[in-house]
Amino acid sequence: MSKLLKYSLLLFYVLLTSCTDVVDVDVPMATPKLVVEASIDWELGTMGNRQTIYLSLSTSYFENNKQNIVTGASVKITNNSTNQVFVFEDQNNGAYTTNSFRPVVNQSYSLEIIYNNDIYTATETLMPVVPIDFVSQSKNQGFNKDALEVNVLFTDPAQIENFYLIKFTSERILLPALFDISDEFTDGNQMNVFYESEDFEVGDAVNIALYGISKQYYNYIRLLIEQSSEGGPFSTIPAQLKGNCINTTNPAANAFGYFRLTQVSKVPYVFK
Amino acid sequence: MKKIFLLIIFISTSIVAQQRYTISGIVTDASSGETLYGASVFIENTTIGVLTNEYGFYSISAPKGTCTLVVSYLGYANVVQQFDLNTDKKLAIELKENSTQLNEVLITSSDSEEMSISKPQMSVLKLSAATLKQVSSVMGEVDILKTILLLPGVTNNGEGSTGFNVRGGAVDQNLVLLDEAIIYNTSHVFGFFSVFNSDAIKDLKLYKGGIPARFGGRVSSVLDVRQKDGNSKQFKMSGGIGTISSRLAIEAPLFNGQGSFIVAGRASYVNLFLDAFNKDYGVGFYDLNLKGNYSLNDNNKLFLSGYFGRDNMVFSDSFNNSYGNLSGNLRWNHIFNDKLFSNLSLIYSKYDYELGIDIFEFDWISSIENFNVKYDFRYYINDAVKLNFGASSISYNFNPGEIFPTSGTSSVNYFKLDQKRAFESGVYASVEQKISQNFSVEYGLRWSYFNRQGGQSVANYVNGMPVVYNEKLGIYETGEIESETDYAKDESIANYNNFEPRLAVAYELNNSSSVKAGYSRTAQYLHLLSNTTNVTPLDVWTPSGKFIKPQLSNQYSVGYYKNFKGELFSLEVEAYYKDVANRIDYIDGADLIGNNYIEGEILNGQSRAYGLEFLLRKTVGKFTGWFAYTLSKTEQKTLGGKAGGLGINDGNWYNSSYDRVHDLSITGSFNLNEKWSFGTNFVFQTGRPVTYPNAQYVYEGLSIASYTPRNSNRLPVYNRLDISATYVPNKKPDNRWKGEWVFGIYNVYNRKNAAAISFGQNLESSVNEATRTAIFGIVPSVTYNFNF
Repeated sequence: MSKLLKYSLLLFYVLLTSCTDVVDVDVPMATPKLVVEASIDWELGTMGNRQTIYLSLSTSYFENNKQNIVTGASVKITNNSTNQVFVFEDQNNGAYTTNSFRPVVNQSYSLEIIYNNDIYTATETLMPVVPIDFVSQSKNQGFNKDALEVNVLFTDPAQIENFYLIKFTSERILLPALFDISDEFTDGNQMNVFYESEDFEVGDAVNIALYGISKQYYNYIRLLIEQSSEGGPFSTIPAQLKGNCINTTNPAANAFGYFRLTQVSKVPYVFK
Repeated sequence: MKKIFLLIIFISTSIVAQQRYTISGIVTDASSGETLYGASVFIENTTIGVLTNEYGFYSISAPKGTCTLVVSYLGYANVVQQFDLNTDKKLAIELKENSTQLNEVLITSSDSEEMSISKPQMSVLKLSAATLKQVSSVMGEVDILKTILLLPGVTNNGEGSTGFNVRGGAVDQNLVLLDEAIIYNTSHVFGFFSVFNSDAIKDLKLYKGGIPARFGGRVSSVLDVRQKDGNSKQFKMSGGIGTISSRLAIEAPLFNGQGSFIVAGRASYVNLFLDAFNKDYGVGFYDLNLKGNYSLNDNNKLFLSGYFGRDNMVFSDSFNNSYGNLSGNLRWNHIFNDKLFSNLSLIYSKYDYELGIDIFEFDWISSIENFNVKYDFRYYINDAVKLNFGASSISYNFNPGEIFPTSGTSSVNYFKLDQKRAFESGVYASVEQKISQNFSVEYGLRWSYFNRQGGQSVANYVNGMPVVYNEKLGIYETGEIESETDYAKDESIANYNNFEPRLAVAYELNNSSSVKAGYSRTAQYLHLLSNTTNVTPLDVWTPSGKFIKPQLSNQYSVGYYKNFKGELFSLEVEAYYKDVANRIDYIDGADLIGNNYIEGEILNGQSRAYGLEFLLRKTVGKFTGWFAYTLSKTEQKTLGGKAGGLGINDGNWYNSSYDRVHDLSITGSFNLNEKWSFGTNFVFQTGRPVTYPNAQYVYEGLSIASYTPRNSNRLPVYNRLDISATYVPNKKPDNRWKGEWVFGIYNVYNRKNAAAISFGQNLESSVNEATRTAIFGIVPSVTYNFNF
């Protein structure tokens, strides 16, 4: 909600975009830290047994080789009720995979990573999601009357606090688009999320993924999205994002990234 | 309180009785009938003197016999009257504007040349209508806020920022009054213009420190702006047609000169920044000032004044956004006798923000409004002692936000945040006293009381902790709500009261120099919630209550003042130290808009500021101007406290967003001849503190920045040069129409001063880059001003 309200400021910022240019700035450099992208996403209608965790190291801000992969780590997830352990195998390219994961909705899991003698742990719960009701396209709605947009409709369950992450990816557009959604002001309603780009053309494919997420992860991803999309004089003062992967050996060096478990509803769409 | 009154009694009885009579009256401008604030009235060859108050009133007592009364006001010719004083005397005085010495004075930082050295009041800046007119107007019109920014101790966050900062104070720590009504947002179009239309403004005073006891409610400064009363002698029209905005003001006498009125309007061209875009976008503002007054008789005068201003922003059919201030004030001046002046005011003011988001089918509104009753007295006890006393009460209503779905298909539910109510009250007394020939003091005490009234429910948190430090994740989180307590309208959620002593002393070293010192303690019960780098119109005010405590500040200042070279130059040097307790700051990722539980997003901290200010002025001659330099530091410290953890930035002191180490302004004005005059400003400031990234990593296919601790980096240095030229075409003495052309260039060397630098990925190449927002490059403007 506040994000929608902030659009009014963003709008003013848009008016000022003619006043922006790219400049060289000297920024400080922090010691590289472990980055954990442990997104255990269970697509509706699948087994959810194939899962991948990515490990890398952070780099200096203007480094062009962004992904500094980590190999040789040991990675495992434990079901906190059954104590069943899922070991992720090092693929030597930064990816760690398993084919035997067993997702259970509302079940708590723990992640353990051992890297360079430091032990990192995280605990999260697998959150359910509702299916996407309907996907449509339009042109004369949204911010720009001449641009195509894809509209995603889903129905929020009433009387329950729900949080969502929705992700759009398209070959036409280099970077994925993420939106965080809370049902605070829309509880129990059918919700409409649209994604618009001036670059979209008929025939373009857009992949839509709607994730059910925990409140804790919502707080994290909301700030991540805000900080990676905002800018200008009216943005919130940015802060270091703190994820849930704790370095139990050296608490001052927690990992970046997050251990999340979600159910996800995916729909591909092609503009007609 | 009692102490002060006892002291007064002591003083007044200790004065040797002597046959004396009182001279009192009003000082006005001869051509317009406007009362003059701060005019000096004194008896020649004595130390007996006084300055006129806000309503032009003075009262002095002098010994029986022949006396020579001298009345002077900057920019006006002195009036000298000699008479035999053998009874109390009422004397209205009219001063004529000194037309032969145009552009003589740009600004005075003290009340008047005769009195400034010896008066204890320090850290005050004053601008009058006459001097306002002469300040160069590079943006096409005189802007009083832009002018005060050129003085030491006053800064803002650069172009595109709302409000201003005084001596390391936050934007919400300034009490801004327009005809005594509180103005909650001082800026139009995000700071491009101030809400003050100079055509309707008579004078203003900015108290940077040493805030008199009659003011309360804000800890940093008081900006006291007074509207013109309207010309009581003749019909007058003035205005300007410019490239950015246009203005028109009409004033005229009413009821055979027993009263007068002024109506002033101003509007920008709606699509201010439109040219580069298609026709779907628009930004603009307008405002209207109104004032009327009526003298019932010599001792009773009524004033009615109002202000209405509005900003609009439209973005095709998707968004429309509008906000503004509304205020009104009904005043009654009553002179009980020639020594006792009083003013009673009934004031209303409101600020509201509206946003319609058509694509999501909802409207949002938020507002703050207050009703205010004030009764102020000034008692001219004798030559050496003046007493000010009075009381005020303010009732506030806060609407932190309300959402309306605008269609049946809207996915948004109607929602109204808790409406908040509060009552603030204050009583004060202060004494201005001349202890000896060289030594004057002003001491006072204000007692303030604040009641956060019921009529809403308040959350109770587990362990009484609205914010909890998550030891494991190392972050501050909103606490768990255990239950809610309903407070009825007649119940109090929380109440506070504070004693606020104020003290100022002045010691005159000789005729041309003095030293002064001051102390003031102030309490502030309202807070503007803002965690963006600049304050925005969307930000919401919130009262102190169960979780948010009132801000309490102590300010200490000392100063040295000197006039030299026959008063051609003056030098002021002031040093200050200020601390503020209970300054709130926000946890990382705080969500302040549309949030019913603000207490879950904030930590109570403290702030401190100290600095050294220099002001060297030349106020007489063809060339006038000033050199202002401030060296200062403003920091905050926000500990975890009850929430646990070390606090923001590990509990260390960190720079406030408005910290500026160096701030230099040079302003000059050159009066070549009757036709041409020129003005220039140069500004140089340390860049403001910002937060830069120190690492990146890939997550969800995006490059995510990791940031340094809050405000540990700085934007590049800010600097700019403005020039202006004013051309007055041939004047025909019998023609009432007077016109002038003002040509201005803002930011002559087109420096791209960074209002912000943001970091992100280039959408085409995905490479990380730093993007600078520089709001104004070079801006030329032409304005034609007229009056008749």
